[in-house]
Amino acid sequence: MKKILIISCFLFFFPNFTFANELNIFTSRHYDSDIQLYEKFTSITGIKINIISGEDAALEKRMIEEGKDTKADLYITADAGRLGLFDKKGMFQNSISPIIKAKVPENFRSDNWTGIAKRARIIFYAKDRVSSDEIKNLRYEDLSKPNWKNRITIRQSNSIYNQSLVASLISNNGIAKTEEWVNGFVKNFARDPQDNDRGQILAVASGEADLAIANTYYYALMLSGQKGKDQQEAAKKVTPFFPNQNDRGAHMNISGAGVLKTSKNHENAIKLLEFLLTKESQEHIVNNTFEYPIVENIEPNKLIKNTSLGNNFIQDLKTPVKEYSIFQEEALKLMLKAGWK
Amino acid sequence: MIKKINIWYLSSLIISVVVAIPILVIFSSFFENTSEYRIILRETFLVDYIFNSLILLIGVMSLTSVIGIVCSYLISFYDFIGVNFFKWALILSFAIPAYIYSYSLSAFFENYGTAYSILKGIFGEANYNHYIPKPDGILGAIIALSFSIFGYVYVLTGLSFRYQSQNLIDLGKNLGFSKKKTFFKIILPAARPSIVAGLSLVAMETLSDFGSVSFFGVSTLTTGIYNAWITFDDLTLAYRLSFYLLIFIFGLLILENISRKKAQYHSPTKDSFEIKNKIKLFGYKSAFAFIFCFFIFFISFMFPLLQMGYWTYLFPKYLFELNLINLISNTLILVFFSCCLLITFGILSNYGNRITKSKFLQSLTTFSISGYAIPGVILAIAYISFISFLDENLLQSKNYNIKSLFIGTIFGLIIVYFIRFYSLANNGIKSGYLKINYSIDESAYLLGYSKIKTFNKIHLPYLKNSIFLVIILLLIEIVKELPITLIMRPFNFDTFATIAYAYASQDLLEAAAAPAIILILISSVFILITSRFILKDQT
Repeated sequence: MKKILIISCFLFFFPNFTFANELNIFTSRHYDSDIQLYEKFTSITGIKINIISGEDAALEKRMIEEGKDTKADLYITADAGRLGLFDKKGMFQNSISPIIKAKVPENFRSDNWTGIAKRARIIFYAKDRVSSDEIKNLRYEDLSKPNWKNRITIRQSNSIYNQSLVASLISNNGIAKTEEWVNGFVKNFARDPQDNDRGQILAVASGEADLAIANTYYYALMLSGQKGKDQQEAAKKVTPFFPNQNDRGAHMNISGAGVLKTSKNHENAIKLLEFLLTKESQEHIVNNTFEYPIVENIEPNKLIKNTSLGNNFIQDLKTPVKEYSIFQEEALKLMLKAGWK
Repeated sequence: MIKKINIWYLSSLIISVVVAIPILVIFSSFFENTSEYRIILRETFLVDYIFNSLILLIGVMSLTSVIGIVCSYLISFYDFIGVNFFKWALILSFAIPAYIYSYSLSAFFENYGTAYSILKGIFGEANYNHYIPKPDGILGAIIALSFSIFGYVYVLTGLSFRYQSQNLIDLGKNLGFSKKKTFFKIILPAARPSIVAGLSLVAMETLSDFGSVSFFGVSTLTTGIYNAWITFDDLTLAYRLSFYLLIFIFGLLILENISRKKAQYHSPTKDSFEIKNKIKLFGYKSAFAFIFCFFIFFISFMFPLLQMGYWTYLFPKYLFELNLINLISNTLILVFFSCCLLITFGILSNYGNRITKSKFLQSLTTFSISGYAIPGVILAIAYISFISFLDENLLQSKNYNIKSLFIGTIFGLIIVYFIRFYSLANNGIKSGYLKINYSIDESAYLLGYSKIKTFNKIHLPYLKNSIFLVIILLLIEIVKELPITLIMRPFNFDTFATIAYAYASQDLLEAAAAPAIILILISSVFILITSRFILKDQT
C-alpha cells in the first residue's frame, strides 16, 4: 500500500513522463475549435494529444531551455516570422511529408515548418470619408502619401503582425525605400497606436479614423455576432479592401507548425499535420476561426464569403512567408526609429 | 561562528539561496553581451519608457493612497450609513486581478462597447462613441492597477488607524486641534509605517505588471523588456532592464528607511488600546461618506463583476463548457502544496532567525522581496534558465536529469510560486512572531522546555491566526496568478486564470468572463471568511 502511495504521489508531481502513443503539443493558438480537432484526431488514430498553450515567446524559451529533454513534439503558432526564427535556432526537423508538400503551396511553408491556415492583413475604410478615387488600386505603399495625413489607424509596433507586414515591404522594396515609407506612414496616424485589430476597425466605424489596417478574422468575428449586436452593426459600417491587387497581392500570414528536432513522436506529429490539412479539418478551422484555408478548393466561412472579403482576391504569393523572419528585426528598428509607438 | 551553524541556520540559508535564484540569473546578464537593441532603445524610446514607468508609478501610488487612506479614515473614525458593510466590502477588490479589471474597463468604454450599448438602450440609436470617455493608454493602466490593488493601502492603513493610541488623539483634542489638524499632525504621521508598507507593495505590483500595461498598450520599461526579449531575442537585455527595475525598487525602500530613521514609532501595546467612540455623522456628511465609499466599492468590485456577469448572461454557453471539477481541483492542489511548503519554510526561517539572531540571515531574507518585484514571466524564465544551466554544466556528466523534474511539473510550478510568494508568507509569519516577546522564550527555557516544545506549545498557538491569514492571502494570489502558471505548467493543466487568458488572447473577452467570474467569486468567498482577521489584526 505504502509503495503504491509513493508511486502515485511521484506520478502526480512529476507527470512529465510520456507514454507510447502520444503527441505533445506546445501551442500559442488557444481556439476551442483546435481542441475539437485534436479530439477528433485521437478518436480516429488512438493517439493521445497533450497540450500546453501559452504565449509564443515564453513557450519557445521553455522548449529551448529544456533542450533535448523537452517533451514537446509539435509547436504551433500564428506568425511565419516566429516560426522562421525558431527554426533558425535549429529547433525543428524536416517534417514536410509528400502529402504536406502536395497540399500546401510552396510560398506558405519552409523545409521544416508548414502553414495550416492563412490570414490576410488588409485595409478597412469608411466609405463616406474615403473617396472611390482614393481607394481605387490602393497599395500598402500608397499609405505613406500626404493625402492620408491624420487618417490612418493601426496597432503598435510591437505587434508581430505589423512587424511581418513591414518585413514583407522590406523584402519587396528594400530597406531604404521601406524606411522612407515607414516615416511617411507614421505621420499619417490619426491617433497614437493602441488597441488590438478589432479596436482599429471600431475606430473607423466610430469616425476616429478613416482607414485601418487589420487582420481579416477580427472583422469576421464582429460580423459573426460573437462580440454582440452593436459591434456587428459597427462592422457593417466599415468596408474591407484588399490592397495591391494589381501587383503582388494582399499581405498574407499563416498559422503554422513544425516538428521539433528532439521529438520522440515525430511520426505522430506528421500524422496530425496531415490530418489538419484534410478537407474536413480545413473546413472546421475556417468555420470557427474565420481564417482562410491553406489548402486550395476549400470554401471560406460563409460570413467571409458573403461579404466583400470573399475568396476572390489576389494573395501575395510572390513574397515567401519564410522571409518575414529575415526582416522582422530590421522592420522593428525602422518602425521604432520612425516613432511608431 | 561554527557553533551557530545548526539546522535552523542551515535551513534559513537554503531558503534564502532558493529565493535568490532569479536575482542571481538576472545579475549574471551583466557578464553577457546584448544585441544592438540596447543602442536602438537608447536612441529612440528609452527616455519615453522610463518617463511612462514613472508616470504610471506616481499615478498609481497617488490614486491608491488617496482612495486607501480616505476610505480607511472614514471607516475607522466615523459612523455613517453602511459603515459596517463597507468595512469588509472594500477588501473585495482584492478578488479582482488587474488583468480582468483591464478587460472590463476597455470593453466598457471602447467604441461600440458596453457603455455605447447602454446609452443606445436608453436614448436610442446615435453615434455616442465621441461622448464616451476613453480611459485607454496610461490613464487606463493607472485606473485598472489602482482599483485592483488599493486594498493594500486600505487594509494596512486601516489596521494602524484602528489601533492607534486613543491617548494621542485625546491629547490633540485637549490641545485644541481641529479635526483636520488632528488628522494631518497626529493620525497620519503615526500611521506612516503602515501606509508606506502598503504603498511599497503597490509600487512593486505596478512596476512588475505586464498584463494591464501591455493590454492598454502603454510603453513602459516592461515594453522594453518585452521587445528586447521577443523581437530582438535578447534575454540578456531583458534581464538587465528587470535588474534596473529591481534596483529602483530597492532604492525606494532604502530611501524610505533612511527618512524614517529619525522618527521613532511605537506600536502600542495591547493595554493602550481603547475602544474608540466613533464620531457619528449626520445629514450631508453622512451622505458624503456613504457616497464616497460606495463609489469606490462600486468601481473597484461591482463594475468588473457586473461587466463579467453581463457577458456570462449574454453568452452562458461558456460557463457550461467549463470543466469546473477539474479546474477547482487543479487550483486546490496548487494552493494546498504551495501553502504547505511556504508556511513550513516561512516558520522555519523565522524561527531560525529568532533563535540564531543572525544579522546575516536577516539581511538575506530581504532578497526574498525580489520575487515580488520582478515581473512574473521574467521570474519563471530566469528559473528555467537556471535549472537548464545547472543541468547542462554541473549534472550532465553524472547522468542526472533534473530538467524533467523541475520544469513542466506541478513540483516545478510550486517552486516558482514559492520564490514568488515567499516574501508574503515570510512577512506574514514575521508579523505574528513580532508579537511574541523574547522573554516568553526565555521563560519557557527556564521551565525546561526544549526548543521544539517551546515552538509547539508556545509559538504555534500565538501564530495560528497569522498562519491562517497567510494561507488565505496565498490562496487569493494563487487563484489569480497567470504568467508563471502559463509557462511553468505541465501538459493539459488549466486554472481559471489560464482559461480566461486563452479566451482573452483570441479577442473573446465575452468567453473569458465565465472563468473570470468564478475566479472572482472563489476569491471573494475566502476574503469574506477572513475579513474579520484582516480587519481585526491578530492580537
